Amino acid sequence: MRSLQEVLQDWEAVIGLEVHTELTTLETKMFCNCKLSHDDEPNTNVCPVCLGMPGALPVPNKKAIQSIVMAGLATNCQIQKHSMFYRKHYFYPDMAKNFQTTQGPVAFCMYGHLDLEVSGEGASERPDGVETGTDTVAAHDVAAPVTVRKAEDGSYTVPIRILRIHMEEDAAKMVHVGGEEGRIADATESLIDYNRCGTPLIELVTEPDLRTPEEARLFMEKLQQTFRTLGISDCSLESGSMRCDGNVSLRRRGTHELGTKTELKNINSFKSLHDGLEYEIRRQAEVLEEGGIIYQETRHWEPSRKRTVVMRVKETADDYRLFPDPDLAPFDLSDEFIDDCRARIPELPDAKRDRYVASFGLKRADAAQIAGDPVTAGFFEEAADGADGRVVPTIANVMVNLVPAFDALTPAQVRSISTLLAGDAITFAQAREVLEAVNGTQDDPERVVDERGMRQVTDTGALEPIVDEVLGRCQDQVQQYHDGNKKVVGYLVGQCMKASKGKGNPKLFNQLLRQKLEA
Amino acid sequence: MANFDQLSAAQIAAGVRAGDFSATEVARASLDAVDSREPQVQAFLEVSSDLALEAAERTDQARARGEELGPLAGVPCAFKDNMHLVGTHTTCASRMLENYESTFTATCVRRMLDAGATPIGKANMDEFAFGSSTESSAFHRTNNPWDTTRVPGGSSGGSAAAVASGEVTVSLGSDTGGSIRQPASLCGVVGMKPTYGAVSRYGVVAFGSSLDQVGPFGRRVEDVALAMNALVSPGRDPLDSTSQDCPVDFLEHLDDPIAGKRVGVVPQLMEVQGLTDEVRDAVNGAARALEGQGAQVVEVELPNIASAISAYYVIAPCEAFSNLARFDGVRYGYQEQGCATLAEQTSLSRAHGFGEEAKRRQMLGAYLLSSGVYDTYYYPAQQVRTLITQDYERAYEKCDVILMPAAPRTAFKFGELSDPTQMYASDMFTISNNIVGNGGVSVPLGLGRDSGLPVSAQLQGPAFRDRMLLQFARAIERAYDASGIVAPDFAGKGGDLA
Repeated sequence: MRSLQEVLQDWEAVIGLEVHTELTTLETKMFCNCKLSHDDEPNTNVCPVCLGMPGALPVPNKKAIQSIVMAGLATNCQIQKHSMFYRKHYFYPDMAKNFQTTQGPVAFCMYGHLDLEVSGEGASERPDGVETGTDTVAAHDVAAPVTVRKAEDGSYTVPIRILRIHMEEDAAKMVHVGGEEGRIADATESLIDYNRCGTPLIELVTEPDLRTPEEARLFMEKLQQTFRTLGISDCSLESGSMRCDGNVSLRRRGTHELGTKTELKNINSFKSLHDGLEYEIRRQAEVLEEGGIIYQETRHWEPSRKRTVVMRVKETADDYRLFPDPDLAPFDLSDEFIDDCRARIPELPDAKRDRYVASFGLKRADAAQIAGDPVTAGFFEEAADGADGRVVPTIANVMVNLVPAFDALTPAQVRSISTLLAGDAITFAQAREVLEAVNGTQDDPERVVDERGMRQVTDTGALEPIVDEVLGRCQDQVQQYHDGNKKVVGYLVGQCMKASKGKGNPKLFNQLLRQKLEA
Repeated sequence: MANFDQLSAAQIAAGVRAGDFSATEVARASLDAVDSREPQVQAFLEVSSDLALEAAERTDQARARGEELGPLAGVPCAFKDNMHLVGTHTTCASRMLENYESTFTATCVRRMLDAGATPIGKANMDEFAFGSSTESSAFHRTNNPWDTTRVPGGSSGGSAAAVASGEVTVSLGSDTGGSIRQPASLCGVVGMKPTYGAVSRYGVVAFGSSLDQVGPFGRRVEDVALAMNALVSPGRDPLDSTSQDCPVDFLEHLDDPIAGKRVGVVPQLMEVQGLTDEVRDAVNGAARALEGQGAQVVEVELPNIASAISAYYVIAPCEAFSNLARFDGVRYGYQEQGCATLAEQTSLSRAHGFGEEAKRRQMLGAYLLSSGVYDTYYYPAQQVRTLITQDYERAYEKCDVILMPAAPRTAFKFGELSDPTQMYASDMFTISNNIVGNGGVSVPLGLGRDSGLPVSAQLQGPAFRDRMLLQFARAIERAYDASGIVAPDFAGKGGDLA
């Protein structure tokens, strides 16, 4: 198979995502008062409603409606005041009523978009200056297609349109025992846990606007950041509280007719999403280039073997016999309700990133990384609170590069270590050592630095004699420097550090060495 | 002392309260009447003697403690077998649920019990309420107490027959297309379908969710009013999101005169094919009787009402298909053994667990909801629904209630209506009210001139004017002196209050 970049020179990959998110932060299920928890003993969080017992009736969870409206507002959707629930029928024991309660043609949230900023290595997956977006729906505020132009550093921004976000209920969890690969065929036993049945679920469907696996990965990442910031879900791909199916088809560059798509399942990490799509794009290209046909089918990503395999072929469209649920009155959301949802939306990651850049002078990448996760952002803001303005960018640097390795640091400790680093009192390597020492305690890093005598000498008067001594005994290296090998300074700094028993500041040694060598 | 079947619900509650007799004595009398009359009537699928005696005992203990007793204290009551009552089976008269034990108690049942009623048992019905004769019950037929060679009507045939035979004082049924009003008519008792939303559907096995409504049967309008109070007075049920507050006292104004009020009659309806002369003449007589009490009879039109039955037989099967999809034999109910695959087990459990009519309706619904067909039938049916609703709204600008037959003819013989569409026509006068969601009540007009069997009038009213309907029903009852009549072959058979 040819590489992704080669393939994408000749072919345009048209990718759309369907993302299911469980509203894990709610206390109760979508249509009953059962506790929302999948970790309890199987079939303990159940009642006549979520077990589909005859005579039971659904009552909608108002907080779930609030969550989906917040999700819609945060993704620039148009909130639909009038919508209703429908019944989608299929016979399978994971849905106790043999129909799923979901939404029909009109979802609570329609026609939104998220803007992706693509930079770094991943940005190279997309050829420059090509159109993006397939205009299937005119109701969007965002025009499509758009032509994407890359900046000098290869980065680019592209809007990804969202068709809809609708509300539905999750199915029960089934475990098939004894069959091949956990499938129901040939299974000797099938176990069902209805604890998950009736969990409030929101399904987001994008327009087919994504063009590279990196864009798909970034979209999911941004969605995860947004929903986590809203506090509506823990959005875990690993545990399945956030699930993603990718639809992908290829068409020749410059053509407009859509190719046959395949649906990618079993994506439980951002890497799986990227690599699964990459494989599928390369596989489809190979099939098409050899004159073969792509079948509309569902394919299972096998991360261990780095390939997709056919799950099932869709020969005909399933007939779900969708019709309005007569047990649930149509919704008529009031302006007050929608305004209340809007008021509940905290500062979203993009706005937070921009504020960090503008008011703290953070690097855009650091700011974006911190702003993306509400817990990290909160930690950062607490650490930055009360810190010297010049220290804050260092705090961000520490947050991005050091903190993730530890599990129990306090914001005060991060503020303290960052202050030391910003004042050149310790090196980055020393900072890591100090954090190891204070992790899980309330100890002040500054005290540890002093106790261990780590504080670096930043007085040039004390450092100069060391520099002179080193230059005196390393004549070979001095000659090399004058011959043009400027990198040799690194060796000399090392010698100075050794001579100072690690207490001299390497930055200052570097400066002094260069001064004296150039003199 | 008298036989309990001669007492009204209010008299029983008053007697228990006063200590004239105990709730336990009334319960024993009712169970004794069931013993003597049931072999000929067969109204019950399950007699809950233990529950009845326990409930009566609790009522008597409450009285002994000096507690205030409920308005239905000690009143023997039967429940249609699609209503859950913990301690009983809820079979819906289907093999599918033959061994199904209620896991919770329906709100309507709970409220009757909370008002003090004594649960005598679960009444026979057409399977899953599909039918108008109770013949589609998977277990046995129920006989009309006025002529045991004839059907009691349906689908709440058991609930109607248990009241008509005097086995119980009141009962609950459910009405999706006429399933309370038509059997009430055939059995000569009062049967009320309240406005959709007035009574909670929680715990009642659904047939057509947008059409189903629970209501009471009684031999007196007053008994029905008392039961309605028990059903609605605690307010809307938070467990049924389609239920609404209905804050009225049905006894208040029950005996108010109807002078000056307007009774609508629909001439076109009195000429429809299938309506027998005796029923037409009896209903015309009821109009004159109301006129005699000072009401004004006005002619109104319901131009689209002929389409009601067509719209109903689209909407009801669609909802039935969906509601009955859960019966797959996996978690409960009839399960086919020895199947190789899940699909086979589901198919065969449903093929063998459901009876003919239940399968016919679900197949029809599955077809009508399938893609391509849906747009052709379901949408037009909903549009017809809107048109008929508008017809009624216009009619009620000219009148307070509408008077019409409850059923086109008196009770028919078993097996007489073998073509399903003939059976469907039994509901020609009742279905439109389910389509629009309004309330309706059937009131006995004595015996038919030709058949000698009970004939009833039906009164229909605007949404949530159910109390006024009972006021008119009471006026008819006064005119016909038809209050409290037990089918003569059964009156006094067992059931003496010791």
